[in-house]
Amino acid sequence: MHRKSTGYLFVLPALLVLGLLIAYPIAYTGLLSVTDNQGNYVGLDNFRTILAARATPTAFVNTLWWVAGSIFFQVILGVLTAILLNQNFRGRAIVRSVTLIPWVVPGIVAATTWAWMLHTEFGIINYMLTAPGIIDEPVGWLTNGSTVMPVMIAINVWKMFPFVAIMVLAGLQSIPNDLYEAARIDGASFWEEVWYVMLPQVRPVIIAVTLLLVIWALNHITIIYAITRGGPANRTLITPIQIFRTAFESVQFNQAAALSVMFFAVAITVVFIYIRTTAANAGASK
Amino acid sequence: MKTRLIKTGLAGAVSALALSTGMAFAGEVVWWTPNFNEARARELVTKFQEANPDITVNLQITTTDGLPQRVLTALQSGAAPDIIDVQHGWVNGYAQNNLVMPLDDVLQDRDDYVPAALDYVTFNDQLWGMPYRIESLAVIYNKGHFTEAGLDPENPPQTWDELIAAAEALTQNGRSGFAITGGGEVGNTIFRSMPFMWMNGGGIISEDGTQVLVNSPETVAAVEFYTNFYKNGLSPSSTLENDGTANRRLFIAETVSMYQAGQFDVNSIKTENPNIDIGVMTIPHPEGMDTAAVLGGWSFVIPSDARNPDEAKTLIAFLSEAENQGYLTDTFPARVSAMDLPRFDDPILQVYKQMLPFGRPAPAHPNWVQITQAYFDGIQRILLGDEDAQTAMDGAAAEIEALL
Repeated sequence: MHRKSTGYLFVLPALLVLGLLIAYPIAYTGLLSVTDNQGNYVGLDNFRTILAARATPTAFVNTLWWVAGSIFFQVILGVLTAILLNQNFRGRAIVRSVTLIPWVVPGIVAATTWAWMLHTEFGIINYMLTAPGIIDEPVGWLTNGSTVMPVMIAINVWKMFPFVAIMVLAGLQSIPNDLYEAARIDGASFWEEVWYVMLPQVRPVIIAVTLLLVIWALNHITIIYAITRGGPANRTLITPIQIFRTAFESVQFNQAAALSVMFFAVAITVVFIYIRTTAANAGASK
Repeated sequence: MKTRLIKTGLAGAVSALALSTGMAFAGEVVWWTPNFNEARARELVTKFQEANPDITVNLQITTTDGLPQRVLTALQSGAAPDIIDVQHGWVNGYAQNNLVMPLDDVLQDRDDYVPAALDYVTFNDQLWGMPYRIESLAVIYNKGHFTEAGLDPENPPQTWDELIAAAEALTQNGRSGFAITGGGEVGNTIFRSMPFMWMNGGGIISEDGTQVLVNSPETVAAVEFYTNFYKNGLSPSSTLENDGTANRRLFIAETVSMYQAGQFDVNSIKTENPNIDIGVMTIPHPEGMDTAAVLGGWSFVIPSDARNPDEAKTLIAFLSEAENQGYLTDTFPARVSAMDLPRFDDPILQVYKQMLPFGRPAPAHPNWVQITQAYFDGIQRILLGDEDAQTAMDGAAAEIEALL
């Protein structure tokens, strides 16, 4: 008993710092969301105003597409890459390091580079497609309402799939060899090995990584903001960008705080599931 | 003895360093100015300090990219510098949120200022910023392209119909006649399309901020006129991602023959493509109407949390003397008398000078940024082909109505 309370005493400084760094901003955001810019209490007015804005439902739907689309392709591409990198072939070390490049490049650099490559007039992608005559006219990748969100998702997938690959690869390498041997003795083909040996073994890793990716995609702002700022006509406006715009472009900190509070509720649910899953996995592997 | 001296000296140096990075001295003015002002600002600071040896000026250079966010964060955080250069249009928002202090006591010679510049930064009958630079857009065109297309380069279009006709004639060989903007920061499109509404008797909201004008017949006609340059193929296919800078780049590459630009574009065109014979015309107007332009520019503000506001005011008063203001500005000064300086005699600037009297401030409204965003979204919906001009502007009107 006595021991326990001494322990609390030792973690107190860390708790204080954590409180200042985490609890204070959250509490302050909560306070901002129910006051006006003069600091008067206004109840749920800010929530009502921001929910009534035309951009809010658009941003919500876009965010769903953005998160779902990104995760789907990141996980599939990442797992396939991991399986490939787990095979024995010449130059595997080089391929492994090259795969990591997108993930290592700073987000803002990647975004600016892609923006230039995709530009209708100056972009190299349109040049590569028009020069050999694959397409007749340059495509407005970033200005065509039907291509811009898929392009954003593609860039995000390109950026993050190496992370999935590395995590899953680590999982694959911890699979004991006798499992493969047993499968081979039973006459399993390569794809049966993938399906019945590899995937079940790395499932906990995939679930944890997916949840982590959901959290990141929800909070992600760099790629879209640097390339389209949420345009054209809000086609790529996602909720974090709407929060940023409301606060720093429209000077409506209180409405932005209200939106953040609602967004926080969604994000914290995912975080909660993530913590529960990873904790359960850790328990299961013991 | 010697080591002790060194030790004391070191300690002194260290604490001095800590002080200079951590906090401002009494009598020190921290001044944030954008990088395009840097060389001239340094010169003026040296001059100022010779006359005021008891005030130190700590000049810090900012970049305009992301500046609104940076200034806002500084103003909100309570750790702001003493003077910040901001665009006229931002000042009202700061004033309404009590983030800056009134500067009526610094203003001398009120009659010498272009009235629209002062109106811009006035709120509740008080002056919240000291304008030092004003500018408006005009249309820059390529005289060579005019000759090739059989147009007279010395007689550029005056009216809307003539502008359309010229743009049609110039759109050939992969060139676009008249580039409009439909991307980048919202302000690019506001500055370029709002004058057309004003000339036609419309606008986004009324000047007193009580009425929505964005879906009035006059405004919709102007919006149609503006967006049709893209819809009819007279503006580049990249219009939806182009801001003013992108248009300048296309003009330098000679794929665009006319576009709206400020005088600050002239020099970079001259240096990057000296082959272009640059012409400048006033922005064409509807038959029988006057031209119009949005008056832009920069002002000094003093944050409410400034540590040395009195010294800051002394520096602003010095910088606002006609000669210094005329020296500092990248475009035109806000003071009429400063306009007489020889550097404003350049013939290519004369058209810009002619535009100034037609320059009007953008309406001052606490929700102006959101209002322009709603309007800009409407413009993009038209350019994307989602909605026609009337529907898009009705949609914008509904959003703006809720913001008034």
